Amino acid sequence: MAFVQCSGLKKTYTVGDEEVKALDNVSLTVEKGDFIAICGPSGSGKSTLANVIGGLDQPDEGSVMVDGIDLAKARDKALSEYRNSHIGFVFQSFNLQAHESALENVISPLTIGGVGKKKERRERGLKALERVGLSDRASHKPTQLSGGQRQRVAIARALVNDPQLIIADEPTGNLDSSRGADVINELKRLNAEGITLIIITHDATVAAQAKRIIEIRDGKITEKAGAQ
Amino acid sequence: MRFSDQFRTGWRNLSRQKLRTSLTIFAIVIGAVSVTVMLSLVTSAKSFLVSSAEKTGMDKRVIVTGTQGLDYRESTWNWPDGSGKKIDQSVLDQVTKVGNVNSATLYTQVGSVSAIVLGGTELAFKNMYFEAYTPNGTIKHVMVAGEELSDKTNGTGVLVTSGIASDLGFKGKESELVGQKLTLKYRSDMGPPEARKDDETATIVGVAMGENGDGLSVDLDWAVKMDRIEWTENSGPNGQKTTRVESQIEKNGYSSVWVDVKDKNAVEAVLNDVKSLGYGAAAGKEEIDTQATAFTIIGAVLGGIGGIALLVAAIGVINTMVMATLERTREIGIMRAIGATKKTVRRLFRVEAGVLGFMGGLFGVVISFGFAIGLNKVLNQQLADSGIADRNIVSISPQIALVVLLITTLIGMLAGSLPARRAANMDPVEALRYE
Repeated sequence: MAFVQCSGLKKTYTVGDEEVKALDNVSLTVEKGDFIAICGPSGSGKSTLANVIGGLDQPDEGSVMVDGIDLAKARDKALSEYRNSHIGFVFQSFNLQAHESALENVISPLTIGGVGKKKERRERGLKALERVGLSDRASHKPTQLSGGQRQRVAIARALVNDPQLIIADEPTGNLDSSRGADVINELKRLNAEGITLIIITHDATVAAQAKRIIEIRDGKITEKAGAQ
Repeated sequence: MRFSDQFRTGWRNLSRQKLRTSLTIFAIVIGAVSVTVMLSLVTSAKSFLVSSAEKTGMDKRVIVTGTQGLDYRESTWNWPDGSGKKIDQSVLDQVTKVGNVNSATLYTQVGSVSAIVLGGTELAFKNMYFEAYTPNGTIKHVMVAGEELSDKTNGTGVLVTSGIASDLGFKGKESELVGQKLTLKYRSDMGPPEARKDDETATIVGVAMGENGDGLSVDLDWAVKMDRIEWTENSGPNGQKTTRVESQIEKNGYSSVWVDVKDKNAVEAVLNDVKSLGYGAAAGKEEIDTQATAFTIIGAVLGGIGGIALLVAAIGVINTMVMATLERTREIGIMRAIGATKKTVRRLFRVEAGVLGFMGGLFGVVISFGFAIGLNKVLNQQLADSGIADRNIVSISPQIALVVLLITTLIGMLAGSLPARRAANMDPVEALRYE
């Protein structure tokens, strides 16, 4: 069985009087250790797909299994636990807690999950920061960091629970091209270490680095050949 | 998420909005202080009342009257007019034999004296009692100065209450009054002019707290003498002289018998036994209970006012927490994205609101203790001025403090429930998009 297995996913939003099909019978499998890029214009449904695979959203119809967990039917508790310890999310706008230091942001999944003692969390947080090369910025607040550094803190946060899957939704969208390239390299390095990587992007150069490229348009997907 | 982490997070979030947090807590403090102080004042007053009553033996007192159906207060003022059963020595003997009776005395109001004089000050008997009893320990007072009436006091001793002392100009220096001679002036309308008696001189032996108004107390034997007038009349055609005697006590009997019951719990039994003898009986306990009930009602009303203040504070908590959920929508989204369950989010906000309530309660209780200390300082001075030995009568019981703390915390959490639920039920995807 594939690591990520989506079949027949449907999700419809109502915007005003109009019904928008964000996912229209989407089926997709992702193998463990894969690196896929999901591309498409804005409003095409790519974020919805990422949210469904990430357990932030649930489909109206269809099934989505990740690592044997049935996300379409899972209740809040199971879904939250899945988000907490199975996957890491990286967002376009970093989504760091502004009032917390880099380290506190990084260890927040551990805090929320009630993992370990304070000391252990701190050690794991510092290790994650070290992995993204920011151990010297542990006590900095997000506002004291550059955009690229912020995104690397967010990656460290995604990493801290040793997830098998990282979902990055437009991770370079708010960065200039060189910082963006750093972030992509960081993610690629993690993928090389065995973490399955799903990147949502509308940037062709980012997408081109993926092993597989999935294009989504009006809620339907087509697959293109990737970098492999 | 561990409770310690929830608490830390809640605390931290609150300290991000210091002014708003302080104001919300301040509102709770007002409520907590008013509840604590008002309840404490009432319970203190109540326990002062009860302890004073215990000192005078009022809680173990039964008053026996010739008229049935009088309550305690009416019994103390009972003025026999011949309509009820006559109270005399034989009644005292009967009552003394009733089980559980420690001691008893005949008691009467003295109606033959119209005024008292000390130095240049004359006080007419207006709103002032003049009682007499056998000083055998049945009737006790809370003494301000000097001592109770006793056999030693030579039959013409008089005990005055602090109100009288004050009217005589001895407020705050009651002990100076002890040993002074007090002139008792007879009424001028007792019997014919030839029955008029010379003024009596009494020695003040003590000053006591008035239990039921202000007045004087003297030995019963002396009162009997004062009550009696005697004069000689020329009657009959031969000019025979007849001695006429008139005495209210002999005619209508004493006012009552005052009984000191051995044990508080036996009061009911004594009441029943005395009533079965065909006399009226009332217990001091009834009066204490009536007053205690009044205090309880006052306490409930005042506590209720404090409760309203707390309710208003709770609305403040709701407001603060609703604001917090709106401001932190995105944060909530982030927390949800990294694995916080709805329950965790709900708890976080509820704990935060609980911390608000707890802090308000804590400061409130601390301020209340300070208030009690200050009030006691003032009251102690007044008590000392009135010659009362009691000190620090306002006390905040640890139970009240604890209950207030618990209630404010609960109110906080309860008030936080609604906003907490709102926060928990936010769609994480929407929340993350919130700007």
